[in-house]
Amino acid sequence: MVTEISKLLEPFAPREEGNAVWVREPLEEAPRIWQELRELGYDYLAAISGVDWPNRGVIELVYHLWSLQEKSFVHLKVEVPRDQPRLPSACHIWGGSAAVNEREVHEMFGVEFQDNPDLSPLFLEDWEGPPPFRKDFDWRAYVREKYYCEDREEDRGYYKG
Amino acid sequence: MNTATEEQRTHKAAKRLIRALWVFNWFNSCGFTELLPVVASRFDMERFGMIVVGSPRHADVLFVAGYQTFKSAKYLRRIYEQMPDPKFVVALGSCPFSGGMYWDSYNTIKHLDEYIPVDLYIPGCPPRPEAIFHAVGLVMEMIEGKRKGGRSGD
Repeated sequence: MVTEISKLLEPFAPREEGNAVWVREPLEEAPRIWQELRELGYDYLAAISGVDWPNRGVIELVYHLWSLQEKSFVHLKVEVPRDQPRLPSACHIWGGSAAVNEREVHEMFGVEFQDNPDLSPLFLEDWEGPPPFRKDFDWRAYVREKYYCEDREEDRGYYKG
Repeated sequence: MNTATEEQRTHKAAKRLIRALWVFNWFNSCGFTELLPVVASRFDMERFGMIVVGSPRHADVLFVAGYQTFKSAKYLRRIYEQMPDPKFVVALGSCPFSGGMYWDSYNTIKHLDEYIPVDLYIPGCPPRPEAIFHAVGLVMEMIEGKRKGGRSGD
């Protein structure tokens, strides 16, 4: 690990695995760490993945950062409360890649990104249900109600099983 | 020389069409993996006068390969409406008629004929190239008028 990164991430107990570093950061520190990592050469935000933890009442977002010069990864975990999922946008740091990934997380998990100029649906146009990647979304009931009808001939196979 | 009825004229036009089916491919899933050898040199559909065209405005046959989400079905509908008559729609794979392996997915459509008229379904996951050629033969029969298409208006 490069010394500057280790100095930056030391307070958050990073875990090293090969050329990747996993860190859990507090929500209020997140924008500062993003900015500093960007300046240290982590210029590619590969993905933002989300994990829903209903028991703990949080949604965990994992920012996968890649330094193309160092050929090393930093995976930043940040948790937002489930009932009011809101965090600052990273658009001004990573540009379009952050904007698109935030749009996806917004529609799939219902997380709101402040200062993201465009949070319109990316895949789920005309979606009416709750955010589908949340674990309390009953997709079986949703599909049964939205797509299938018991009286219809071609849907008979669905009700048999 | 305008004695030919509308039906005869259509039939004449259709006979010309039968020698050169122009195909527009609308693929966003695995159905296209078996359409590739049909298009390319292995099976080579150009031997039968079929070519892939870049615009639906030139196409006679629309191949719909695989499952459609709501977003892609919207564009599919637009493409279908741009095609000039007579036009035929062939749906490839299990997904368009039953949802296939996405039968309980929250965002894929389950019966394609609820969104656009479909003339022919080719079952299979994905269908073999031979099945696609068989379907094309059936489409040619539909053009000749020997077989009825699945479209509700016909």
